[in-house]
Amino acid sequence: MRKVSLVHLRPGHKGRVLEILGGSGLKNRLMSMGLYSGKEITKLSYVGLRGPVVIKAGRNILALGHGMAAKVMVETE
Amino acid sequence: MIKKIYLIGNPNVGKSVVFSRLTDVHVISSNYPGSTVEFIKGYLSLGDEKVEVVDLPGTYSLEPSSTAEEVAVSLLREYPKNEIAVINILDSTNLERNLLLTLQLIEEGFPAIACLNMCDDAAHRGVHIDIQKLEEIIRIPVVSTCAVTGIGIKLLIDRIKEASPVLRDKVSHEERWKEIGRIIERVQRLEHRHHRVREMLEDASVRPFTGLIMASAVIYVSFKIVRFIGESIIGKITDPIFYGTIQPLLEKLALNWQEKSFLFHLLIGDLVNGKIDFKQSLGLLTTAPYIEFGMVLPYVISFYLVLSLLEDIGYLPRLAILLDNLLHRLGLHGYAIIPVLLGFGCNVPGILSTRVLESKRERFIASTIISIGVPCVPLQAMIVGLLGVFGGFYVGGVYLTLFTIILILGIILNRVLPGYSPEFLIEIPPYRFPPLTMLARKLYFRVKGFLFEAVPIVLVGVLIINILLYFKLFDIVTGVFEPIIHGLFGLPKEAIVALIVGFLRKDVAIGMLAPLELSAKQLFIAATLLAISFPCIATFIVLWKELGIKGLVKSSFIMIMISIIVGTALNFVILR
Repeated sequence: MRKVSLVHLRPGHKGRVLEILGGSGLKNRLMSMGLYSGKEITKLSYVGLRGPVVIKAGRNILALGHGMAAKVMVETE
Repeated sequence: MIKKIYLIGNPNVGKSVVFSRLTDVHVISSNYPGSTVEFIKGYLSLGDEKVEVVDLPGTYSLEPSSTAEEVAVSLLREYPKNEIAVINILDSTNLERNLLLTLQLIEEGFPAIACLNMCDDAAHRGVHIDIQKLEEIIRIPVVSTCAVTGIGIKLLIDRIKEASPVLRDKVSHEERWKEIGRIIERVQRLEHRHHRVREMLEDASVRPFTGLIMASAVIYVSFKIVRFIGESIIGKITDPIFYGTIQPLLEKLALNWQEKSFLFHLLIGDLVNGKIDFKQSLGLLTTAPYIEFGMVLPYVISFYLVLSLLEDIGYLPRLAILLDNLLHRLGLHGYAIIPVLLGFGCNVPGILSTRVLESKRERFIASTIISIGVPCVPLQAMIVGLLGVFGGFYVGGVYLTLFTIILILGIILNRVLPGYSPEFLIEIPPYRFPPLTMLARKLYFRVKGFLFEAVPIVLVGVLIINILLYFKLFDIVTGVFEPIIHGLFGLPKEAIVALIVGFLRKDVAIGMLAPLELSAKQLFIAATLLAISFPCIATFIVLWKELGIKGLVKSSFIMIMISIIVGTALNFVILR
């Protein structure tokens, strides 16, 4: 088990959200869109050069800006 | 006694389609989050009564995190809970995320009914939901619908009166998600399906490499289709009408008329070689209708058709992901591509839709970029029509110049303006093929909007110009501006008239360049300047409303500076 941010998770790999480093505003926003501690996600893609990260959470596909993705920590194998 | 019905749901669940099914009032619905920032009202017959139905902006939760969500939540609390009914619309293919709002509504004591929309799409994707079991668990009425085809709508209307508050403890977000997990386990069954073509395309469009290939293909094909449809309408419909029917009629009229009379000048304009020339005569019955209906309207139709299709399929959010990188350098995020694309149709809706961007700083950058660097369809149609004669090279040059300006301007604004631009977070909807009736409605409303906005201004504009020309009042202005227009931009001094007219309507302004017999270089410079310099009056008013007077002044100052720099640079850099 390793702890990495969404930016460093490899595309195509699964992970479980451990924590969201950020204020309650960001946490609530992500949570209301279905991304919260304990949620299993799959990283779909990453657009290089500080581009956004695309993940799948349940049946939900979300795109997060680079800075936001860096604040979402996940554990992966 | 129900006095008001609210439709509430996450963005992209087909809320607007349900609304138009319930009320028969036509609305524009879109497949990207945040399109319904303004709410829409309609009426539904419930028994003998007509009840007002309000379509609230899409929201993920009752704890708002954007302006649109704030609007939704505050509207919902306007009336006492015993006088309203809330229809909560959910996307059946994504029940889990949608249930958060449902549970919040129940906890808050709203009399709610759940409408599980897009049931056909769920079945296609192998998602099976036990409606009865869900109803037993959450204890509010649950109806399965497919608003696009109308399945379940009647049942939904019948059961609205069953909506009543249910007792439920308020819990934290975490506990709510745990509860939702348990509910999903009991009511939803996923059938394992192999990846089908649609899902493969969905995935490919968000990956950097395949995504860029797809984006290039989509943009190229869209451009070709817009041109093909536009040219077809002109060649097959409007030109035959103007040249075959209207011209002979008007010429008969003109022959029996005392030329040079004031009225003749207003209605018909100048004859070119003894004949009416729709592009140059500049009369209320000749050039004014020809520019609007014969040159611009065909492209307005084809542009909005293609844009509405891309919107409803759900492609635009994917384009936003790919462009986030680039737009970040300009102080915007990927989602800003949507206002920009709308701006290519008409700057007014483009600037209005910058409201989907969160910060004031972003809205200022986006609005300024749109009003300076994004040419609207009428302007583009006229540029292609007049400059295209000299070859695609010049037309391409205008676009390249504008694109360069957008990049440089954006980078500078991002460096200079205080503050930072927020990160981007959007939901990527699955591809859906829009029902053709919704597409047709949307196209109808957009084209109608264009006609109502453009035609009166064009007629009044041409009238004013004709009067000013007749009494030679422009001569005063042309003298004053000659040093700039001729000295810096290398244009004949009469071109200032076109630049001034550009303030009224860009398409008419470019049309006014036609009689000046400009060289390719001059026309190229004049067209580029018209695109950059003062936006038309409608855009100006919207800029004022959205940015305030200070923002408008700042934006205008930038505009004038860029016009002078670019006009001069082009004049001295281009050799012929």
